[in-house]
Amino acid sequence: MSDPTLISPLADVGVPTAAAALDAAPSRSRFAWFTDMPRLVKVSAVWLMLVVFGAIYAKLDESVFGGALPLQDPNLQTNNFDVNTGEFGTGEPLEGISFNHWLGTDAIARDTFSRLVHGAWVSLIVAGVSAAFGVIIGGFIGSLVGYIRGRLETVAMAVIDVILAFPALVLLLALVSVFEVRSLGLISFVIGVLSIPAYTRVARANSLAISNREFVLAAQAIGTRRRQILFREIIPNVLPTLLAYAMVAAAFVVVVEGSLSFLGLSVQLPQSTWGNMINQARRDIKANIAQVLWPSLALTLTVLALNQVGDYFQRRSAVRQSSL
Amino acid sequence: MSERLDGRLARLLAALMAFALLGAACGGSDDGDAAPADEETAAEESEGDAAEEEVAEAGDEAEGDVDTEIEEETGDRVSGGELAVGLEAELPGMRPWEDTCASACYNIFITIYDKLMESTETGQYEPWLLESIEPNEDFTQWVGTLRSGITFHNGVELTAQSLVDMFAIQQTGSQSQSQIAASNLATVDATGDLEVTYGLSQPNSAFPAYLSRAQLGMVFEPGAAADPDAFNAAPVGTGPFAFESRDLDNETIVVRNADYWGTDANGTQLPYLDKISFRPIPDEGTRLDATLSGTTQVAHTLRQNTIRDARTERDGGAEITLFEFQGSNVGGGMFNVLVPPFDDVRVRKALVHLTPQDQVIEALGGTGISLPGSQWFSPDSPWYSEAAAAAWPQFDFEAGKALLEEYVNDPERSDGKAVGEKIEYELSCPPDPTLIAAMQVGFEVATSTELVDINLTNYDQQTHINYALGAENGFVGSHGAHCWRFSDDNDPSVTINPAFAPPTAEIAEAAGIPDVVSPLNFANYFDGDVFQAAVGATRTDNFEERKALYEAINLKLAEDVPLWYSGYTATALITDASVQGLVSWELPSGTLGQGMPNAEGRWHQVWIG
Repeated sequence: MSDPTLISPLADVGVPTAAAALDAAPSRSRFAWFTDMPRLVKVSAVWLMLVVFGAIYAKLDESVFGGALPLQDPNLQTNNFDVNTGEFGTGEPLEGISFNHWLGTDAIARDTFSRLVHGAWVSLIVAGVSAAFGVIIGGFIGSLVGYIRGRLETVAMAVIDVILAFPALVLLLALVSVFEVRSLGLISFVIGVLSIPAYTRVARANSLAISNREFVLAAQAIGTRRRQILFREIIPNVLPTLLAYAMVAAAFVVVVEGSLSFLGLSVQLPQSTWGNMINQARRDIKANIAQVLWPSLALTLTVLALNQVGDYFQRRSAVRQSSL
Repeated sequence: MSERLDGRLARLLAALMAFALLGAACGGSDDGDAAPADEETAAEESEGDAAEEEVAEAGDEAEGDVDTEIEEETGDRVSGGELAVGLEAELPGMRPWEDTCASACYNIFITIYDKLMESTETGQYEPWLLESIEPNEDFTQWVGTLRSGITFHNGVELTAQSLVDMFAIQQTGSQSQSQIAASNLATVDATGDLEVTYGLSQPNSAFPAYLSRAQLGMVFEPGAAADPDAFNAAPVGTGPFAFESRDLDNETIVVRNADYWGTDANGTQLPYLDKISFRPIPDEGTRLDATLSGTTQVAHTLRQNTIRDARTERDGGAEITLFEFQGSNVGGGMFNVLVPPFDDVRVRKALVHLTPQDQVIEALGGTGISLPGSQWFSPDSPWYSEAAAAAWPQFDFEAGKALLEEYVNDPERSDGKAVGEKIEYELSCPPDPTLIAAMQVGFEVATSTELVDINLTNYDQQTHINYALGAENGFVGSHGAHCWRFSDDNDPSVTINPAFAPPTAEIAEAAGIPDVVSPLNFANYFDGDVFQAAVGATRTDNFEERKALYEAINLKLAEDVPLWYSGYTATALITDASVQGLVSWELPSGTLGQGMPNAEGRWHQVWIG
């Protein structure tokens, strides 16, 4: 967005664009995007960064460092048979907070903190893949049909409407239950594909509005090719809204994945997810409520944070569009 | 199993039976013995002395399991009062011949319907609504005599013809059909006003056991049942309570049957209570909380972790009594022995050696509550075999790993993989948090051998059953290892015979018994000696002979390990301290009853102290 030509070819003829106007503003800190945020949004962004950092750290520990980083094995049952010692461990199930287990242990004496951090990876991937599918595929289709219109729009939106007519979670349950082996890739793919229609609608609505803006009409008037208009005028201006929507949609996807996990339909056991942690801990809610609380808290805070940050960017995007 | 099952009808019946077993197989329905509460204990409880309430269990808690002794209760019995009972589930329907009836259902049905036979504290069967029953020499005919002067709640007199008319309805009932087939029942004739003759197609010395369960044993008014829907809305039996109302998913109310035939040892008219309200409360914690808060006076549970939580509450001063019962229902799972690699006993035995039972029980929430399983009978069962317990493979990592290595390095290994390649299989359980925890315990140890890859799956209960049933491929199924439950506190033949009869037509043909096929043999394990022993046990009523046959079966199971066991399943009725009489109910002969197996209370002799 820093290149004004991506906003409008009118820049080529000397007309100042919104982006150019923004760029012409007094120079500000490179962290202004963060410092300008309201306090609640800042806290939310920090939380999201922590989640992302934790998820990546856990994945690196597992896949690159072979468990050498300081984080316990999320699947180690500390009361079970230890093949190295030839004896059963002395860990306790449903242990409270301790130095060894910062958030206690679950029903089979696994470290809850470690499982929570590893569970973040699942949420991150599912949300990320879903957003990527939605923004790239849904965004493109929506922008295209919103600009081209005609029969293509009618057919595409009819298909989208049919897909959206099914309750999303029910459709997802039906699709996921078909597969016996449920890898993270598969779950992410299925959720990602099902995310496309919603993004398509958002993109189309924006594309319709942008298509009638002066700079698009001007571009058409000077004979710019439709493909160029689509990629240079429409999509770049749809993108901010779409990315802001992606944050909010990611929150929904995190909840959906949690629901699937809770129902035992997400990734294979023993891989931890926040949803399956809640499901497995709910049995012992009277004995140790904290084991339900931690993953629930992580899920809730992440969803709230995504919504806060998403809303903030949506508001910024709306301001930016109105200034165009 | 001795019944002749042939063709599609047999398979249909078996499938129906499978669905009937659904609740018992995976839904946590458990059996056990009874927990006692003697007079002294009852008095102490009524004083609200929480410290003394532990005595109410009268169990040997030092050993950690629930107490199953049954003792006579001789305190003053009080007529009147009302109870609210929290059950784990709503009833599918009120028709014994048609509707699936698991533990929660039995609690309600037993108030409305009397049974023809009833089980005693020693696991034997004695007449209840019948006055007597006698078999012929080869157990193909049973002649029973009904008590006289008994009327249904609608005033209709109970006669032998009522049972004949009931049989006509039972033959069409989805639940009764399978029991008719399993029991070998062929005809029911009224051979007198009160005399009924049951004709069997095959000998069955355990036939009275079938008359003690809902499907064939609970007596309903056949005239009223002619309209099944109307009957479902207003069921009619001869039981101690009459149906008053049912608000689906909220409350079923039964009220005292003033004309009930039963009296206690002192001649006092039964039942003692005026009214019972049964409320389905599916969430375990909420159900327990309802009793702790006084919203209900009884909480029904089939879950060890709820018993654990209730014990904690009691020890913390809550004025409750735990009527616990540990029966023969045992958790665990089965291998599909027709599917590689489980067609090789080395793999099966290895995985049993690699299952740490104590840790699995801990994961199930049963530490200090459930005893490790070793056979189809709990240590409290009269059928329990010490020899079979000693023979069951214990946890032994090195032995298990050695067996797996032997298989993996066998050029003739049955799964067709290359020598040295890991074994792969699926372990499937319903998506219950308890089972999910337990399955991961075995997974951890088995995969630590680095000789197996296990795909852990969770299917909803219905899918889980269908998957194991495997109707689509001749009842072989494509499943590998499956969580399952085995056994109950009925006569052993009820569960053992269908579980070890030939599972497919081909196997039956090869065994020379082409008409005997049981799709309920979910593990697909067939052994001629086991089958003959199971059939032999229905040809004699000599207890010692039968026990020896069942011991031989359990010894063979320990050798061939088509199944694995976790722990026997404890169940409980958790009551307000004022509720008395759940463990001490008696049969008309004065014999002590079986207590509350599978958390099934007998409410006619319960009083509020």
